Amino acid sequence: MKFELDTLVVEEASRDSALAARLVAALGSSVPVSYVADAREAVRPTPGPDPFGAGKRRMVVLKRHTPFLMACPAGSAKFACCGYLVLVLASNCPMDCSYCFLQEHVANNPAFQIYSNYADSFEELDRLSRSAPGRHFRVGTGELADSLAMDSVTGLSKDLIEFVRDREHLTLELKTKTDEIGNLLQTDPRGRVIVSWTLSPEAVWKSSEHRTASPSARIAAARAVLDAGYRVGFHLDPIIAYEGAEKDYAHLIDELLDVITPGRISFLSMGSLRMTPGLRSAARRRFPHDPMLLGEEVPGHDGRLRAFSALRVRLYRIIQQRLARAGRPVPAYLCMETSTVHERVFGVAPANPATIGERLALG
Amino acid sequence: MPHLDDEIRQLAARRHLPDTHLDRWLSLDEPSRAALMEAAGLLRLRTGQLVVALDLLDEIAVRESVSIASVLARPSLHRLLSAPGSVPERAHAFLDELRAMRFPRLRETTARLEAAIAAMRLPAGIAVLLPRDLASDELTIQLVASDAGELNRLIDLLVEKRAELSRILSMIGGGDEV
Ligand code: SF4
Repeated sequence: MKFELDTLVVEEASRDSALAARLVAALGSSVPVSYVADAREAVRPTPGPDPFGAGKRRMVVLKRHTPFLMACPAGSAKFACCGYLVLVLASNCPMDCSYCFLQEHVANNPAFQIYSNYADSFEELDRLSRSAPGRHFRVGTGELADSLAMDSVTGLSKDLIEFVRDREHLTLELKTKTDEIGNLLQTDPRGRVIVSWTLSPEAVWKSSEHRTASPSARIAAARAVLDAGYRVGFHLDPIIAYEGAEKDYAHLIDELLDVITPGRISFLSMGSLRMTPGLRSAARRRFPHDPMLLGEEVPGHDGRLRAFSALRVRLYRIIQQRLARAGRPVPAYLCMETSTVHERVFGVAPANPATIGERLALG
Repeated sequence: MPHLDDEIRQLAARRHLPDTHLDRWLSLDEPSRAALMEAAGLLRLRTGQLVVALDLLDEIAVRESVSIASVLARPSLHRLLSAPGSVPERAHAFLDELRAMRFPRLRETTARLEAAIAAMRLPAGIAVLLPRDLASDELTIQLVASDAGELNRLIDLLVEKRAELSRILSMIGGGDEV
């Protein structure tokens, strides 16, 4: 996949980094490159009708001065969680999903940032492992950015995989909506890497997931990396309860299971579309004609808008029933839902986050 | 259509309609601008009502890929423009109908649940309250009694209705009946 950038900005302190060299070599002939002493200005919104969209096309290479590792922002004691840890190697993404939470989350610094000192995160990961000997951790890079969107030019996946593949207590999750798997196919993950795809029905892809790979292309890419020794997982997140969604999600599950047998799916997460009022306004401003942003969402206890309870639980159950028909169980869990909802969907209470995270890490 | 746009601007100025909403109104296709002007005039929509109507109409039009004029031409809405009865009541009913169009399954599910609650024929001392907008799966049951005898009677009645209450709870939580 090729994404269009308007400019590449490199902070002086990152000029000699391997990452900057790779990016300048790959993009320098097609995109203007500039060097700045301090990148703080370059990451801020620029004036114009769509500062967030413009930020996606302005790649900034800089050092990260805060920790790379953090708890998943979706995690909360109130929800049935999966114990996921986030490794922040980049911020923002060249694709443009109408519902993307980054529209609110990084509204004040929307440039597409990539951190040149990403190798410092490896020490953080080793420290984490030393702090809890014997525990397994699942760490992913796809929370504030897509893990693979620019991988053909950054090559980050190779370094990451080389780091984790000798560390038995770590499982790396690369999360994507692309079919950018060239580097993965050239690297042996030794069983330590899960590549996960967010999947949506065609209707959602066409309406809301701009510049992403089609659902079929994502499934085909998953099949290819599976055959190359990776584990694969899927996120049905956000699930959008539009008219006709029940049939479309059931069809999507069938399409997935036709290509990848249930026993080879490491996990499948489900989460319904949830938006803070601020995100909804930002998304509606940028995508005023997208009907997927206008479902029957109502404000919940946490202030977020979600499809009303009966509607979304029914959709989860239909998907779960479809998965259950597959013969072998697919390990499925819910994201940002209460234990009660979990019980209504799966018939049992959820395990605690650390346990789920560890189970997913171990595969 | 300068004449229509002038009328819209004048109405917006009288109602202190926010600029964002005026701009949205003026950016609609001509039949939609005119149909909304007609509704606003006949129902004498106040500022807040006009804002809500514009938001709901815009969202319904995007959800259904139709024009606002075609939404306003639907019999259930059009009827309210010229129906007998007080103007404020018709304006209220108009917004309510728009909400029903914007949230059709929520309305339908709520109506089904309310029918199930009504079918239990509970006495005045027991109220079964649905969660606001069906946003959660929690049912609230309220007992109002002024002496122990009455309280015991209400509790016994509730126990008798256990199966129906469980069914309602299951419907709220996405049970197969919804
Ligand atoms: S692919 Fe992910 S990070 Fe990128 S715009 Fe879509 S939701 Fe946001």
